[in-house]
Amino acid sequence: MATSTPTRDADAPAPRTSKKEPTAERRQLWRSRLWRFDDKASPYAYIAPFFLIFGAFGLYPLLYTGWIALHRVSMTGLDSMEWVGWENFDKILHDPEFWTSVSNTFLIGVISTVPQLLMALGLAHLLNYRLRASTFWRTIILTPYATSVASAALVFALVFRADGGLLNWTLGLVGFDPVNWANGHWTSKLAISIIVIWRWTGYNALIYLAAMQAVPNDLYEAASLDGASRWQQFRKVTIPSLRPTILFTIVISTIGSMQLFGEPLLLEGGALGATGGNENQYETLSIYLYNYGWNLGHLGPAAAVAWAMLALLLLIAAANWIVGRFFRTSAVRPGAPS
Amino acid sequence: MRITRSVAGRRHRTALVATTGLTVTALLLTGCGGSSDSDKGADANGNITLTVADFGQFGYKEAGLFEKYHELNPKITVKEDTTAEEKNYYPKLLQQLNSGSGLADVQGIEVGRIKEIVDTKADSFADLSKVIGVDEWVSWKAKQATAPSGAVIGAGTDIGPMSLCYNRELFEKAGLPTERDEVAKLTEGGWEAYLALGEQYKKKAPSGTYFMDSASAMFNAVVSSSPEQYYDASGKPIYKDSASVEKGWDLAAQAASKKLTQGLAQFEDQWQAALRKSTVATVVCPAWMAGQISTYAGDANKGKWDITSAPGGTSANWGGSFLAVPKSGKNVDEAAKLVKWLTAPEQQAAVFKAIGVFPSNQGAYELPDVKNATLPYFNNAPIGQIYADGAKSIPEAVLGPKDGVIKDSISTQINNMEQRGTSPDKAWDAAVRTIDKAIG
Amino acid sequence: MTLTSTTPTTPVKLAPAPKSGGPSRPSRFRMGAGQQMKGGPFAYVALAVVGFSSLLPLYWTLVAASRTQDEVLASTPPFFPGGKLFENVQTAWEQANLGKAILNSVIVSSSITLATLFFCTLAGYAFAKMRFRGRGWLMTAVIATLTIPPQLSVVPLFMMMSGLGWGGQLESVIFPTLVSAFGVFFMRQYLIEALPYELIEAAKIDGANNFRIVRSVVLPVARPAMMVLGMLTFVQAWNDFFWPYLALNQQNPTLQVALGQLSASYTPDQSIVMAGALISTLPLLVVFVLFGKRIVGGIMSGAVKG
Repeated sequence: MATSTPTRDADAPAPRTSKKEPTAERRQLWRSRLWRFDDKASPYAYIAPFFLIFGAFGLYPLLYTGWIALHRVSMTGLDSMEWVGWENFDKILHDPEFWTSVSNTFLIGVISTVPQLLMALGLAHLLNYRLRASTFWRTIILTPYATSVASAALVFALVFRADGGLLNWTLGLVGFDPVNWANGHWTSKLAISIIVIWRWTGYNALIYLAAMQAVPNDLYEAASLDGASRWQQFRKVTIPSLRPTILFTIVISTIGSMQLFGEPLLLEGGALGATGGNENQYETLSIYLYNYGWNLGHLGPAAAVAWAMLALLLLIAAANWIVGRFFRTSAVRPGAPS
Repeated sequence: MRITRSVAGRRHRTALVATTGLTVTALLLTGCGGSSDSDKGADANGNITLTVADFGQFGYKEAGLFEKYHELNPKITVKEDTTAEEKNYYPKLLQQLNSGSGLADVQGIEVGRIKEIVDTKADSFADLSKVIGVDEWVSWKAKQATAPSGAVIGAGTDIGPMSLCYNRELFEKAGLPTERDEVAKLTEGGWEAYLALGEQYKKKAPSGTYFMDSASAMFNAVVSSSPEQYYDASGKPIYKDSASVEKGWDLAAQAASKKLTQGLAQFEDQWQAALRKSTVATVVCPAWMAGQISTYAGDANKGKWDITSAPGGTSANWGGSFLAVPKSGKNVDEAAKLVKWLTAPEQQAAVFKAIGVFPSNQGAYELPDVKNATLPYFNNAPIGQIYADGAKSIPEAVLGPKDGVIKDSISTQINNMEQRGTSPDKAWDAAVRTIDKAIG
Repeated sequence: MTLTSTTPTTPVKLAPAPKSGGPSRPSRFRMGAGQQMKGGPFAYVALAVVGFSSLLPLYWTLVAASRTQDEVLASTPPFFPGGKLFENVQTAWEQANLGKAILNSVIVSSSITLATLFFCTLAGYAFAKMRFRGRGWLMTAVIATLTIPPQLSVVPLFMMMSGLGWGGQLESVIFPTLVSAFGVFFMRQYLIEALPYELIEAAKIDGANNFRIVRSVVLPVARPAMMVLGMLTFVQAWNDFFWPYLALNQQNPTLQVALGQLSASYTPDQSIVMAGALISTLPLLVVFVLFGKRIVGGIMSGAVKG
């Protein structure tokens, strides 16, 4: 059977066959070419949809963004582009609001990512115990993930309301004055971070849990033979083993925080949301991009913001790479608790 | 085996078929989504649904006009799609105009945007000059919606002559007179007198209440009482040197530093809450504002509010809108007819009677419904009388394409002065930055 | 594709393999060291607290959606649902075009899910089991696309969609999201382990061509992973906000866009907004209750195998 696989006779000549006189051999030959073609082309055919669609709606727009960033394009006339060179970059780099958004994005990123990942780690540790109804617990902590940004942001907006908000009522019970959460520079960032933390902690916990369950058992055995306590085991065995996963979640969360849009947009909603608060106190880069392009109606600077975000991402990637290298070289070898 | 192989070619084709099938399914599905759009077009029985997209409060619902139109034209049903804030409405409108899809049959356009639409998007709208009687309108109103080609792309709905809304109950508690004439008299001296009244109010103000909601309203009133606002006649932005802007800004800064305002962003959530809870004693009131107050303050506060003439008898036009008919609609003619009907004197009068949105169609001014109109919610304030005189002497303002953004940016910064104690200089710089970004 | 990842740590995520390598099967008999110990009361209490905080906002959505705004914002908030749910849902339905929004969301999410499953399984199989020139760097390219946030391309996308006449149409949100790099990666990782070469060889010997192999060998093996990927993709597409919010409008929204608009609509009554939020969340919650175990397993396997 295998010998008859036509793909083997690769060197056979390929005469054009007349359709009127098909002989068995010719058909065989034709088929063999078809098969060879099938084997060669199929993988490319299978991956082609991904690359075609990505090319058309991902890569091309990404590059085109750079081109638009050098032009004046306004919402009132999308088809007319006027070359302005670096003017758009000049505009955003000299706009204090841009830098406010950069620092807001960064700050919200930190105060949402750090507690989120720490809590996720602890949660994963708990879930790693042998538990009754473990699937139940895992599903429960994942429910926020099923909630959309819009729903989550809106219900938290209600919780964080200055008057009649659930949180202020709770604070009132313990004797605090009501806080105008969205209005304050720190409180508004905190509020947004809490939405992010709520939505993603459970998800990250499951990622960590998966990594924890993959840690080979003998590492723990060796550690416990050396007399390490459970906390020491967690610190000296679990954490080092999870290091790549942790680094990875940090990167992804950082990229994620750069994309924060729905949370700030809907925290107060309306026109305030579109400018990230009346002093831009919680304006993120995505909001800045949206406001410049879609509300103020200038797509050139909005495109320039997109490329500025790209630059920041590359910076973060570089930083991560350096930190990653540092960690790798200075890592304590797992399984050898001192 | 042979059989299998000979089918092989067909299998390969199945691959193609499956792929195309999937794509086609996706397309069909989306097409299906798109086609439900066509419920706008007439159905088998010739029934038509017209959509009117607007913002704030045009008053048609309140006056029951859509039902009435349906009674008059049983084949036509009108659906209204309202966005609370014009600031959120306009960007979406531009977006829809760009793509030529998603537009309603009738779109509202605010006066702060009409210039930009006329300048850049006039082609997207049907010319209404043949449908509506352009001469019926206050002259400057019709001019604002006229493109260089002579096409009239919008029919004026309302104008916003100025008045002052005040809360009688709070005035009384603060030991101030509550009668319309007396209040008007106290503010006869203009906006400075209005601020002085505010200081008087503050001395005995019921706790947790403020004299005004936001000084941004006062700013807008001052600017809109001047023919020269943000642009000069040649279309150059002059907002930085405009006398009316400067005056309005200074007054607002004073109000902020004297803490006469609650510093609320108008129309936003907390502003609405303030009306519900009666924490503001006065609101500078273009005609359409009365409708907002009665809606948000709610039935519980009915009769507590009143309306008197604006400080110093200021004659100004703040706001007011147009109804336009996008060409891309499926029922352009029917939509134009609806617009004509909605903006005809009788209907404008009905809206005025219902919520106080003031007609821009001069034909309405002589109708008893307008002349003798009173608003029950506002202690039966004789709004016909209050607005009629002012409306006639409204100056013809020079409009610019970014009037809306300029107004909004300055309002935001006035809020910052009020709420956060931002210094006037810093606030002004911030406003200029946003405005220059918008002007580009 | 890139547009799916609108939020932090989206499912478009893959954790590098743990250093240990090797088959990472959680041992049921791992008792020696601290791990897999029985959870004490503390663990349960802590989990209960976390679970409570996870569910509280959802419960509050229900409470707020079933009362009037005045009750919700009263100085002492209500703790139990009231009787206005139906009324509020009805108002939200009328105000925000929710009927159309639900239909649109279903169309968008299912088209994206179907296409993603089909294309990603094909590509995943190719990368997992087929030899071809450029496989290595093409796979790297796929993974690299994971790190591109959608923000970077919305401006030209918006202009493109306008140009194509898809502005405000569902096509504009479906097409950019038809494939997902995460999906390709996910299917590849699964098929590397789950699909033995012997099966493919056997099919070849039987004379099956490549597509037949996909149909009768790969797809059956891949089905469990496709289920998981399908659910993750659906959740993602259903909840997507950023690009749909920019691309669509009130006349033709998805649920999330309608929800965003509802909060900006005339008289944004909080209980009506919450009724809208409830409607948008409910379908996914039902999916989670029914398939929670699978989804949890899917997220975890996606993470480890990375």
